Amino acid sequence: MNPVLSVKNLTKTYKVDSVETPALGGVNLEVRRGEFTALAGPSGSGKSTLLHLMGGLDKPSSGEVWLEGSRIDGLSKAQLADLRLWNIGFVFQAYNLIPVLTALENAAFVLELRGEAPSLRESKASKALETLGMLEYAARRPNQLSGGQQQRVAVARALAAQPKIILADEPTANLDSKTGLALIEHMRRLNHEQGVTFLFSTHDPRLLERVDRIVRLEDGQIVA
Amino acid sequence: MFNLFSLSWRNIWRHRGRSLLSAGAVGFAVFFTLVYLSFLGSMENGMYNNLTQSVGHLQVRVADYREKHEFPDLLIPKAEEVKAGLERAQTGAQMVVALEVPALVAGENRSRGILLIGDERPPGLREKFARQYLAGGQLPASGDLESIALGASLAKALKVRLGDPVYVYAPGTEGRGAAAYRLVGLLKFPDSGLEARSAFTSLAAAQELAAPGSATRIELHFPFTRYSQDAGLATLQSQLAARLGKNLTLETWRQANPAIAQILQLLTPLVLIFAGIFFGLAGLLVVNTIYLSLLERTREFGVIVALGAGPAKVTRMVLLESLLLCGAGAIIGGVLGLLLVASLSGGFSLGALYGQTSLSVFGLPETIYLSLRPADILITLVFALATGLLAAWWPARVAARLEPVEAMRFAA
Repeated sequence: MNPVLSVKNLTKTYKVDSVETPALGGVNLEVRRGEFTALAGPSGSGKSTLLHLMGGLDKPSSGEVWLEGSRIDGLSKAQLADLRLWNIGFVFQAYNLIPVLTALENAAFVLELRGEAPSLRESKASKALETLGMLEYAARRPNQLSGGQQQRVAVARALAAQPKIILADEPTANLDSKTGLALIEHMRRLNHEQGVTFLFSTHDPRLLERVDRIVRLEDGQIVA
Repeated sequence: MFNLFSLSWRNIWRHRGRSLLSAGAVGFAVFFTLVYLSFLGSMENGMYNNLTQSVGHLQVRVADYREKHEFPDLLIPKAEEVKAGLERAQTGAQMVVALEVPALVAGENRSRGILLIGDERPPGLREKFARQYLAGGQLPASGDLESIALGASLAKALKVRLGDPVYVYAPGTEGRGAAAYRLVGLLKFPDSGLEARSAFTSLAAAQELAAPGSATRIELHFPFTRYSQDAGLATLQSQLAARLGKNLTLETWRQANPAIAQILQLLTPLVLIFAGIFFGLAGLLVVNTIYLSLLERTREFGVIVALGAGPAKVTRMVLLESLLLCGAGAIIGGVLGLLLVASLSGGFSLGALYGQTSLSVFGLPETIYLSLRPADILITLVFALATGLLAAWWPARVAARLEPVEAMRFAA
């Protein structure tokens, strides 16, 4: 089976005031459909950088990024935006919901960007919220939700768009351990029941017990 | 379910005070522009009507009359035939035939050098003239060879009253050269100089005095009451000019009064410049609002870009917010402006503010009737929308260039 997302010899070096800081050095990774994969490693190991490069949020210094057989690292800004819109779901560490939208509207946001019909958006977003156990909070705005609830809405936002893969950057970092575990359980259930492919980063060892595959990063290199 | 329109609307009101200030500034600019356009439009129409009533829309004169200074050189011979020729063109114009004679006028003890104007006006124009300028008595009737009306200050200088005899001398002309009239009317003009040196008789009386059958000008008055209707005058001018001989010329009121015509031409650009300044200032507030909003929401825009909004969509989102902000202000300012214009459309007097005389000297009407043309409203809306677009253009470009990863790390 072809990987959903893969990278070959991926490097990323940040340059600030002529000082170069390598973040990734020659990473190779393939993520296959239906996998529930964690990127593990200490802070500064390059987890977020790798996720950003794989999600088309940033461009690599060298190497290749492939999405379902198409190379994406050379695409323009607009092409990458379009690619993300239709193929990749994102969950961020800081929830990053739109404060003026309700939970339902946040869940439907990507669908609105896609230009889908309002009724279709509503049904897809409602279903995603229901899956995450958040339907009863559909009319609430982010400031009326707890951190865990906000992050579930963020997952629902990614899920509602039915992307090929959901990339989650430290989704539990801002949550207490119990809420964090509950969120991972939700993601795990989606993976098992609906076959949603997840790749998420974490440095919480307890979460790693619940994943199919662990990719360990240290100093910008995959070590296991 | 929301859409980008409602999202933008909600975003605008995240900072009510700031948005209200910006929308209010745009609203004020719209209000000011509408009221100012209607005010100046009405002034323009008033000046246009005053001017064309006194000189006609078109005027037949002897060719090169400005270079000619001798009375006989200024005469249009067989004026009635020229008038009949113009009437055959069936333009619907009313005509005034006038003969201006430099003369000496005297009462029992005093005399003055004046310009005697003998004219023949259609009844409607005659009534208007009397209503505007007659201060006492009446105008000499058509064909009346024995009556004269004087400027009130001229009559005072000559020490003559209504009913007194007045003597006029116009030596060296082809007419009788001298005549005695009875003073039947006193006229007050805004221009004190005109009042002190003009006398009015019937055309027949002036012709008998100085130039039988001749005139010095023939005015053509068209039923145009708005300045904007004047556009067709050039066509009429060229049509009618072809019917005149080489010795005669046909001028528009603009050519006859270039100074006032220039003032009129300046009014609209002037109001547009003022409107531009007001919208420019309002635009700065809008730029401030939109840019601060962008700055505060950089992380949010970063997320929106990360989720798949391309540069074009982000640009549209920012522009939409600005347009809604300006649109909301424009609607409120527009409604208030239209209400004020409607409430003053019945007319209000400027005389109370500036005094009737000083207004009339500049050809301004005493009463202003505010009204707006669809084009005025359209221009104002274009200004408001342009403000919205221009004010947001730079913030929109900044937003469109955001790199999602950097933007999401941004702390305002």
